[in-house]
Amino acid sequence: MSNFFQLLINEQFKLYIRKSTWIMYILTAVLILGLALLANFAAGNTVLYQAAEDDNWRQTLQDDNAEMQQEMEQGEMMQGVYTSQIERNNYYLENDIQPASYDAWQFVMENEMLLSLVSLFTIIVAAGIIANEFKWGTIKLLLIRPITRTKILASKYLSVLLFALFTLLFVLLFSWITGALFFGVNGMDPHIVMNQSEGYAYVSVIGQIVEGYGLQLVTLVMMATFAFMISAIFRQSSLAIGIAIFLMLSGNAIVTFFADYNWAKYILFANTNMGQYVNGSPMFEGMTLGFSITVLAVYYVIFLAVSWLFFTKRDVAGH
Amino acid sequence: MTETAMELIDVKKTIGSKEIIKGLSFEIHKGEVFGFIGPNGAGKTTTIRMMVGLMGLSDGDVRILGNSIKSEYKDAIREVGAIVENPEMYPFMTGRQNLRHYARMMPGVTQERIEEVIKIVGLEKPINEKAGKYSLGMRQRLGIAQALLHKPSVLILDEPTNGLDPAGIREIRQYIRQLAEEENVAVIISSHLLSEIEQMCDRIGLIKNGEIIATQDVNAATEQTTAVEIQMDVTPTQQAIEVLKEDFDLNATTAKEMVTIRAERDMIPNIIQSFVSHDIKVYQVTMSKSSLEDKFFDLIGENTIE
Repeated sequence: MSNFFQLLINEQFKLYIRKSTWIMYILTAVLILGLALLANFAAGNTVLYQAAEDDNWRQTLQDDNAEMQQEMEQGEMMQGVYTSQIERNNYYLENDIQPASYDAWQFVMENEMLLSLVSLFTIIVAAGIIANEFKWGTIKLLLIRPITRTKILASKYLSVLLFALFTLLFVLLFSWITGALFFGVNGMDPHIVMNQSEGYAYVSVIGQIVEGYGLQLVTLVMMATFAFMISAIFRQSSLAIGIAIFLMLSGNAIVTFFADYNWAKYILFANTNMGQYVNGSPMFEGMTLGFSITVLAVYYVIFLAVSWLFFTKRDVAGH
Repeated sequence: MTETAMELIDVKKTIGSKEIIKGLSFEIHKGEVFGFIGPNGAGKTTTIRMMVGLMGLSDGDVRILGNSIKSEYKDAIREVGAIVENPEMYPFMTGRQNLRHYARMMPGVTQERIEEVIKIVGLEKPINEKAGKYSLGMRQRLGIAQALLHKPSVLILDEPTNGLDPAGIREIRQYIRQLAEEENVAVIISSHLLSEIEQMCDRIGLIKNGEIIATQDVNAATEQTTAVEIQMDVTPTQQAIEVLKEDFDLNATTAKEMVTIRAERDMIPNIIQSFVSHDIKVYQVTMSKSSLEDKFFDLIGENTIE
């Protein structure tokens, strides 16, 4: 076990000593700061956040409702948005909850979309971690050690997951700190009213963060494992990055394209979006959470088995 | 008389339907420097890749201190240090970081040992610079350093003097000899620089088209072939040719003012003596080709890949 730990140290060292890895973190940080600036402008103009500062918040919400009602009678524009906002305002009023002001937690929650960036970076790392050793020629010196190839492969795969974890933690922490500096912190467990599958509800922001980030992790891990496999087969990182990103972006389109066929529900991308079970609207009839987990597990095992087969069984020949 | 360090038993490699290596069998002893030579495409690198487990064997076995590379991989490879083809290092890491990286992969390599090998290969100065900035010679030294870290019983070096300057070549050559003689390491060196092999190795194996066509003691090889080509820069040329004919019964040819004969090495002093007594001026006497090189071309024939 101790020599596996040494291998992990090696892999992490090789990853974090390179500038390209740090550029990923710097990009993420810059993006978070940009989003904070944007949110800073937006938050000031929102009725909800004005209401949060206001003792007379009931009046503010009622005025807002009346205004939207009036605009809806005048024109057809923005009907859906207004109806939804009126509904939300009413939820606050009916349940006598004062809206919470915008804060670090909500900022973190909204940054959930940054996970696609984390996925992208993880794919890049996964695609390179085997292929680069071939590119550099160092694979020859790496494999002539008293360590099985299986162990080396495992250390590399685990390193990819560790990278994803560290990057995820970075997004969470940096978002929270940035949010705290820009907007302050509303206690340790703030609640807000959000549109859930069964209408508006008063929910914990932290719960939303866990759910939102957690659901996206499924796609992240699956696509990173996929890129890792391509990297092990073709020993070429650009190909692995290309295919994985293409599939990640076009996944939904692929499912829609084959939607008429019964077997479409076995496509990886029909199952990666776990949100469909939270919303209670699965993509295909008859799909259950158990079904998706099984399909994902099968794909996952295949990806890893193929990686293992190619990495351990194939000759390391000339360039 | 000597212990076997590495043994190849009927090693074959088939890629597709083509047999690249056609049954190699030879042994390398402890404390011996074994030269592995052959023309390009003969299968040197493929054989080395099989010795270190980078390529699988289609048939046969490689045993290192009795451990099979196939069934006892870890025990076998623990005793091997190697450079395969070019010594490629992580360009974004310093020399020392590269060595530490490999040291973590092998049991019992201490910090002191790392410093020791750095000193052995003479990389103290650039060791904290990034390996990407190293010259080929420096990378070669770093490659040798990583191969020595764990004090292997068998050292496999693919073209180890490639890219080194003459002083570096001599240094590494002396160190390889020292490793073999003092630490009883078996060293396998592949090269097509024949003079290198001749100066460094105890024994050579000639490989051609995937077959060992001869294994030969280097000393025996140089002693065996007696007649060598000798070129002499003398004046007057015509008189010299006559002297050679009369006194030694040698047919000489002239080219570019040089008199060329084929004769035994031992005869050279006698010839010079004779020239001097005939008042012929001798400016230079050289043996043009090494005997090993002659032997090499005799055995290999043309440099063709079948």
